[in-house]
Amino acid sequence: MIKKIIVLFAMLCIPIAAYAEENYEQKLINEQTIQNRIDNVGVKLLNANKIPRRIIFVYNEAEKKSKLKLDTTMTSRQVIMFDNAYKSIENDDELAAFLAREIVLAAKSFDREFAGGLNTLQIKAAPKKYEIIADKLAVNFMVKAGYDPIGLITYLQKTAPQRRFDKFSNRNLTSKRLAIIYEYIYTKYPYYLANNKYFENEHYQNFLLTSVNNRKMLQQKIKNGSKEELHYE
Amino acid sequence: MNNKLIYTLILLLGLSNITYANTLIQDELVNETLLNKKIEKPAPNLNYNFEDTDVIEIRLLINDPIKSEKDVYEGQPVTFRIASNVHYKGKILVKRHTLVPAKVEVIITSGMNGIPASIIFGSFDIKNLDSRLLTDFYEVRGQDRSLMVYPLKWALTILPPSGTLTNFIKGGHAKLKTNNIIKLYYHPNWDKTAIQKNEQKTNDL
Repeated sequence: MIKKIIVLFAMLCIPIAAYAEENYEQKLINEQTIQNRIDNVGVKLLNANKIPRRIIFVYNEAEKKSKLKLDTTMTSRQVIMFDNAYKSIENDDELAAFLAREIVLAAKSFDREFAGGLNTLQIKAAPKKYEIIADKLAVNFMVKAGYDPIGLITYLQKTAPQRRFDKFSNRNLTSKRLAIIYEYIYTKYPYYLANNKYFENEHYQNFLLTSVNNRKMLQQKIKNGSKEELHYE
Repeated sequence: MNNKLIYTLILLLGLSNITYANTLIQDELVNETLLNKKIEKPAPNLNYNFEDTDVIEIRLLINDPIKSEKDVYEGQPVTFRIASNVHYKGKILVKRHTLVPAKVEVIITSGMNGIPASIIFGSFDIKNLDSRLLTDFYEVRGQDRSLMVYPLKWALTILPPSGTLTNFIKGGHAKLKTNNIIKLYYHPNWDKTAIQKNEQKTNDL
């Protein structure tokens, strides 16, 4: 009787184990596909922009970005793409947008005193300032690598939360960042706005809807031929 | 009867398209200022080949001095000139005093804790040289006072809150005088098509 029970139990366990193994393999294959995609876009950005620095890209599904952990982008020059960020990526332009921003900061962390330590400290001390710089340089990096910089707008539009104020915060208002990126693209790469492949994209439309006042300010600035820096909302 | 049905169907389809077009929010700024203008697509740099190790140093001087990052704006055209002849394989590639148009790409204002201001120049356009094979950006920084601020801040932690007062020390302004040489680097053979052309020439010979 006991023998029968053991045999039955073993028969029940075998398919579960096989299923688990198959599932694990499938998960690994999926992760490998994502990793390859991230590597291809990331390395293309490095090569097209002739960045003579070693920066690697890692897809991390298990971990979530923790505030207590050090940002490896500037310490180990390892750009980590978390699952949460990857979920919102629709195409290579948006993936390039995420990676290009991180590459700007990682590349900056190599230069100057203490093997880039001082630069890293400054970026950490003034995150608001460097957030904008990373956005602008990311636009350049994307264009050089053949990606559409409007992807940065759609990516931020759906992933970056909107705070109430930014006066006493270490982050800029997302609406302000988006307006600055839009102005930068308008000034430097107007081709992408004139031939906007994202025009019918729901997220881009939502950006247009939520940026009416900021775009009006820019329209006025261009009409007046002003060179003043705008204080976007 | 059938015709009427078809016309109604076509009309309904047409109306639905019009309604859809109307629901899209238009970008007036782009419509007014960019549409119907001939704008060239920026050329990406995808034909790279980093096999070759040749590199040429190009020394530039600015024509008009910049006293502070506050005196310039992003996108402003600036003119540099070649400081000394640029040679490659015994030939002059670019002559001294050749004018080099460029642009102010990004301005970083000075910040608290001694963080200096910066001006990032880019879009260098040197006659006879392929800009894709040239250094993309050159950054001019102001005086970095953070090297003084951070040790001072730590030293003053025993007298709180005097350490926090060091936050208010700002970094220096970004300046560029007419005798300050900036260096760009040109890699003549970092382009696949250039190498292919050279190989073709050798084969033809």
